[in-house]
Order: sequence, then structure tokens, then C-alpha cells
Amino acid sequence: MAIITESIKNEVKEIVYSFFAEECEVDIAQINENTSIINDLDGDSLMFLELIEIFKKKFKLDIELKIIGKYAVKHPVSTIGQLIEMQLLIIEHENRLLEIEQ
Amino acid sequence: MPKEVVITGMSLISSLGLSLEENWNNLVAGKSGVKNITMFDASSLTTRVAAEVSPAFEELSRNYIKKRAGSQMTRVTRMCVTAAKIAVQNSGIDFSQVDRTRCSVIMGVVNTGNSSAEKDTTPQNTVFKTMTNSMPAWISLEYQLMGPNYAVNTACASSAYAIAFGYEMIKNGQADIVIVGGADSIINFEEIQGFNALYALSIANDPPEQASKPFSKDRDGFVIGEGAGILVLESKDHAIARNAFIHAQVAGYALTSEGYNIMAPMKDGEGMAKTIEQAIKNAGISKDEVGYINAHGTSTELNDRYETMAIKKVFGEIAYQIPVSSSKSMLGHTIGAAGAIEAIITAMSLRSGVLPPTINYNNPDPDLDLDFIPNTSRVKDIRVALSNSFGFGGHNATLVLKKHL
Repeated sequence: MAIITESIKNEVKEIVYSFFAEECEVDIAQINENTSIINDLDGDSLMFLELIEIFKKKFKLDIELKIIGKYAVKHPVSTIGQLIEMQLLIIEHENRLLEIEQ
Repeated sequence: MPKEVVITGMSLISSLGLSLEENWNNLVAGKSGVKNITMFDASSLTTRVAAEVSPAFEELSRNYIKKRAGSQMTRVTRMCVTAAKIAVQNSGIDFSQVDRTRCSVIMGVVNTGNSSAEKDTTPQNTVFKTMTNSMPAWISLEYQLMGPNYAVNTACASSAYAIAFGYEMIKNGQADIVIVGGADSIINFEEIQGFNALYALSIANDPPEQASKPFSKDRDGFVIGEGAGILVLESKDHAIARNAFIHAQVAGYALTSEGYNIMAPMKDGEGMAKTIEQAIKNAGISKDEVGYINAHGTSTELNDRYETMAIKKVFGEIAYQIPVSSSKSMLGHTIGAAGAIEAIITAMSLRSGVLPPTINYNNPDPDLDLDFIPNTSRVKDIRVALSNSFGFGGHNATLVLKKHL
């Protein structure tokens, strides 16, 4: 279980913002925590998977996709802020993500 | 009552240009798009020439496809979607103003070109890049069209089949608008090696622009090309109601199978002749109305021999009065895209009254004695034209187009 520092939070936020700015061809200044991934950025669900792969590599995470899938069913993500929050939980809990609720 | 079907939008991307106008000007000028292969190192291959689309295409596609979507497509899928968007622009259709449940997409797709030449760095995109339904799917998604969208694969006749199916949907009242056509590129090491192993390709590498020589005595195989051809088919009533420009009319078609051989056409062009004959009957025209035939004309020994025999068998003595040309002499063989590209060229011939030539026709084969429009285009006002497509596996198609009067 990793400890989420301010530095990690900032890093995750920067990666997520840059990723969406680049992929959706929007100015990064237009993105904030309330930005809707589908409605405002014309994004898609695949982007979530791509970001997971990016964070898996960056933080050498031990996490199975099916665990994230089960968690995401109960906690759907629609905004950039929610997505960052989930990525931080994944980094923090990895394969024990579902245990948060127990 | 069956609906009449017209062509209200067209676009063409090929080795001879990135726009319909550029392509047409080069075709009637008798220019060749065949060059030495630059897309990969072909030095160890027997065939080292092909008709490649200019790298400037990628810049063009960025004007039509968002970066995110573009990264989920192969180069040839981007070619297809770009051409589709240009064709829709050309048609003047505003899809927000039409019933999108009555709009469909049918593409001839042999493969998506997701070969080793595609540098796929994102595994999540592999499936999207490989699935052969991706071309019609992306076009349908782009305009939120809700009629059926699908891909048809009948090898070199694929996009001619797509046109026939689109025509049928409109004629039968199942759709008002169908975007049809195809895109293809098999200019990669594995495919050329494979076709070389079948002795299907020309090995006349020098000079490249003279490699494709349909109907000539010294023809030695086809030259691989690549590109996209898209047509917007529309019911004539629908087109007239919105005051659309009409390029030409689709009057009929025939699709047949030879049931003979996976590669070779049926002996003496019997299957080809049956297809042409059926198409004429289906279109309700008389043989003496046919003013031009855009031949399949691959530059292979058997196709050109049998296609000539088929035309003579169907038309008898009239055959000698019908100009026939092969666009593949200039564009190479664009495989799944060929049927649509050549239908567009046929429509342009009807519209403009100029028939593109068969280039590199310097050494006539005495057995092939039709009027092949040798080397220079011809001015001729025609009312009806045929476009032939014959694919590996015995997939035959003949389209009948009419001038819009």
C-alpha cells in the first residue's frame, strides 16, 4: 500500500491533464476537475485503460484490470476530478482496491 | 415502384492525387502513378515498383480526422474516412437535415492494412486497427448514421459489390442515401512477396511507370496500387428535392461467382461474359447503347485475354466499336478499392465526355484486338458505360452507369 504524497497527487494530475489535452486536442487551460470526459472533451472509455497502463508502468503497480473494472462499476467516472481520484486509489491500494469498501 | 439511383458525391485518393480533380486531370493526361517503392526497403523483392499514395495524404487527413480517432485507425482506414468526408462535402449533404435512419454505409474492405509496416505503439488500438468493419463503422460514427453499415470482402471486386448493394438498398426503398466505396493498401513486404510467389505481379521494374501495360503483348502481371474511392449514392427524388448536383446515374449491375478456381478466371472468359450480359439485362439497356467499358484490365496474361474474349462474346461485332480502357495502367491495381475508383472514373467519363486511355500500349497483342484507347484520352460523348471488376475467388461484378441528362 503506497502512501499518496502531495508530489504524487500533483504528478498524477499533471499526467491526466496532459494526456487529455494531447489526445483530445484541447488547450490544457480548458481542463479542470469538473470537466466531463465524454461531454466536454469528446473522450472515450479506452482513454481510461490507456491511463491505467501509463500509471502501471510509471508506479510499477500490481493491479489486475478486472479489479479496477469491478470497482468502476460501483464508482463510475465521468469527470477529470473523479478519474484522478480513482487513479490515486489504484496507486494506493493496487490489488486491494476492493477492500476499501469492506 | 423502384427508385432511381444517382451519384451525388465522389472523392478519389490515389497515386495520381489527393483530390478528384487532380486525379482526373492526371488520368486524362495519361500519367502513371507507378514508381519505385519508398514505403519500405523493397530491394530484396522481385517486384520493386508500386503506385503509392503521396505522403502528403497524412497532412490532408489531419484536416478531416481528429487526432484521437486517427490514432485508432490504420493509414488505409484514414484514407477511407478522409475520402468519405470529402465525398460527403462534394455531395453537399447536411446530415442534420436528413433522416439518418435512412442513411447507410457499405465499404469494400479486403484488409485494413494493419501489417508490420504499421508501427502500433498502443496495444489497445490493435483490435480497432485490424477489424475490417472499422472503415464503414468510422464513417457511420462520424455522421451518426443509423441505417446498416457493413463491409463486404470479395477481393478485387469488393467495392464494386459495395456499390451494387448500396444501389439495391436505395432502389428498393430501404435507404435514401448510402455512402459506398472502399480503400486498400497492400504495399508491404509480405503481400508483394506473396503475390510474387503466385507470379501475379509485373517484374518490369525499370522504368516503373511502364510496368503496368494492360492488353499489351508484353504484359507480365499487375502492379500493386493503393487508394480510396468513395461515392455518395442517393435516390434521384431525394437528390432533386435538395437541388443536388448529379454526377451520373447507377442503372444496374450484376454480381456472379465463377465456381471455378481460387485464382484463375474461368476459361475463355465465360464467367466474365455472363456477368456483363446479366448487368446489361439488369439495367434494361441495349448493347448498342454502351459507349465505353472501364475494364478490369489488370495487365495479367489471363485476365486481359479472357476479358477481351468476354467483351467480344457479349457484344459480337459491336465490340470493335466500343472503346475499352484500363485505369490500372496508370493507378496500378488498388485491390479492394479498385471497383469504386474505377466506377468513379467511369462516372467522370460520362460526365465530362472524355475517356481516359490505356497507357503503355505500345506493343499490341494481336489476339486482343479491341479499341483499348491507346495512350491518349479520347473525347467522346457517351450515354452508358460499364465498369468491370473480377476478383480472386471468382467474384465478378459489372456496374452499369448512365449519363445524367
